[in-house]
Amino acid sequence: MKNKKCVAMLLAGGQGSRLGVLTSKIAKPAVPYGGKYRIIDFPLSNCTNSGIDTVGVLTQYKPLELNDYIGSGKPWDLDSSNGGVHILPPYQGLSGEGWYKGTANAIYQNLEFIERYNPEYVLILSGDHIYKMDYSKMIEEHEASGAACTIAVLEVSMEEATRFGIMNTDENDVIYEFEEKPANPKSNLASMGIYVFNWDKLKKYLTEDEKKENSSNDFGKDVIPAMLSNNELMRVYRFNDYWKDVGTVNSLWDANLDLLNPKLDLNLADKKWRIYSRNVGFPPQYVSENAVVENSLVTDGCEIYGKLDFSILFENVTVEEGAEVEYSLIMPGAVIKKGAKVRYSIIAENVIVEEGADIGGDPAFVGSDDWGITVVGDNLTVGKNAQIQANKMITEDVKEGEKI
Amino acid sequence: MKNSAVTGIIFANFNDDLLKKLTTNRSMASVPFGARYRLIDFPLSNLVNAGVTKVGIVTKENYRSLMDHVGSGIYWDLDRKNGGLYLLPPYITGAKRYRGTVDALNGIRDYIKHSKSEYIVLCNADVLANVDISAAVKKHIKNEADITLVYAKGSLAEVPDETMILSLEDNNRVTEIGLDSKEGEVNFSIGITIIGRDLLLKIIDRAYDEELSSLNCDVIARGVKQFKIYGVLHDEYVAFMNGIDSYHTANMDLLKADVRSQVFNKKRPVFTKTRDDMPTRYGIDAKVTNCVIGDGCVINGTVKNCVLFRGVKVEKGAVVENSILMQETCVGKDAVLDYVIADKNACIGEGMTLKGTTENQFIVNKNQIV
Repeated sequence: MKNKKCVAMLLAGGQGSRLGVLTSKIAKPAVPYGGKYRIIDFPLSNCTNSGIDTVGVLTQYKPLELNDYIGSGKPWDLDSSNGGVHILPPYQGLSGEGWYKGTANAIYQNLEFIERYNPEYVLILSGDHIYKMDYSKMIEEHEASGAACTIAVLEVSMEEATRFGIMNTDENDVIYEFEEKPANPKSNLASMGIYVFNWDKLKKYLTEDEKKENSSNDFGKDVIPAMLSNNELMRVYRFNDYWKDVGTVNSLWDANLDLLNPKLDLNLADKKWRIYSRNVGFPPQYVSENAVVENSLVTDGCEIYGKLDFSILFENVTVEEGAEVEYSLIMPGAVIKKGAKVRYSIIAENVIVEEGADIGGDPAFVGSDDWGITVVGDNLTVGKNAQIQANKMITEDVKEGEKI
Repeated sequence: MKNSAVTGIIFANFNDDLLKKLTTNRSMASVPFGARYRLIDFPLSNLVNAGVTKVGIVTKENYRSLMDHVGSGIYWDLDRKNGGLYLLPPYITGAKRYRGTVDALNGIRDYIKHSKSEYIVLCNADVLANVDISAAVKKHIKNEADITLVYAKGSLAEVPDETMILSLEDNNRVTEIGLDSKEGEVNFSIGITIIGRDLLLKIIDRAYDEELSSLNCDVIARGVKQFKIYGVLHDEYVAFMNGIDSYHTANMDLLKADVRSQVFNKKRPVFTKTRDDMPTRYGIDAKVTNCVIGDGCVINGTVKNCVLFRGVKVEKGAVVENSILMQETCVGKDAVLDYVIADKNACIGEGMTLKGTTENQFIVNKNQIV
């Protein structure tokens, strides 16, 4: 193998349990986003656009869909004969290898993979966030500073800081302390879960961490604090662009609807920084004579006969005559039949919403305590004239006329 | 049918001159069609959907845009170790003349010979149809035919000159092939010909020696007695690119649900080069009715009865009707377009009015700024 300057390791094994039924069959990085993407398209495309051509994708929870989606890596130009994208599932070995116990352990179990490329730097990424970032700038800054580890951070508000891992730094952006979800934050620099390590330091600390019996084998909880207490030089890399965690139903919905804001600083139409995705080859979208489509994103394979406002339609969605879709995400292959109404909802893949069904509720009419996004799980049928209120998570077929 | 049993050959420059204004810098095969395709996507996908893994594309001139489009063949799953996609431009050496399909086939004689396939399927790039080639080849084998012509029924006005008009027996054996006009409904060849490889090689050699020019007119049409020729009916949508007007009509036909369901048959999807555009964005003032639209468009104006290709921008106040806007066309504020065909990257300035008619569309050239 030719040596690489930097190898990226993408942690994609998480369940994303707060997304409920949306991740009951697929891992979180495989969750559809933005009409034609999956969450993992963002870190993968960022790698390609940043000139990183060797990416290990660590999978564990429900990997089938993700493996299938990534395939040879061709859509991201990562089907390289020297490097490229590699799926790295847990495996059996002689010395107790097995399920990935934590983020650090997952990388530890794949040290051999990194060793093959003997890189100078290792970039650790997660498949949970929507953002466009030039990792090469972060690596340059890391290299110039001589740090052992650089952590990408985002400035958040002090209130929000209580929900993040917070980096406390001196005036030179050197980290002196890391606090996980502090009650009284000293700084507002939130970790984005993106790390650049010197390869030798990463290897050393992961090996040591593995020997500690009480370690949870987690980067944030164990490895970073261990490095800090050993006085390793650790710095933050400040990122000021659009970045969104899509870990909950509401944040996933939010991050999608953000795309309808023409002034958003996440420009997916930027030809210099394309977000690549696997396209299946559906025919162009059709908007009928009587359709009304406003403030929406629509992609290939969709047929719209009804009304669409503030919504995102993924591939191959049909909205029949008289149906109304507002403030909703309709995932691939779903059908919204005649006269059905879908508001403030996420309709997962291949769902059939039968005629006259009414799903979700407008926050203006629902009390704010009861309001929330309604989610209908994949491949379900919502029967004729069924009614589903706001803030419901539907995991089974809904019968004709049923009220939930 | 084993994958290697059939090799496909597509004539990319077939009838280029019928779409003159759109083929000044490209071949017939790479003329954009239907919001996200090039014409070659249809014969290519037809072949691939029939399990064909070896396709040669015969080109004569203007093939740069075609090369750019097909690349290694990855989008049609034709980047293969065995077989795959071959672009077959004319050789400079050896080719003494290049007048018609006979010379073209003679130029790729070695490719056909070494294809190791029992059957060759010849396709023209100027016909738009989603054809079940697998079924046609099976019939060819069952009929023990020498040559099988896929045909459709329709009026002669729809087809270009020199299209083969077939007279058929009840069992679909072709008894007569005419090249001249006939009244009423006729059976016409839709440019897909199935023929055994060895027979094709023999035919090419003889026709080349006799200095014949067209495989269809000079060999097949005159060979009804000599060869066992059968027809296979394609009973679905077909359109020939028989002029700018018919090109416009065929695009507009996609606004009909039944045409879409036939052209974009779910069992036989049409593949094309991906562009990684974002989905199309409909703005707050968008009024879009009866349109077929590719990805990556940004629409803030009024668009009615149109085909919009990938990356088209229609600004606020603009009104576009009955038009075909190819990739990356920009329509400025308050511009009014009716019966316009805008080639790639055209830019129509603020407040401009461009009007064509049903029969005579206003054409904006590639990269032209109006």
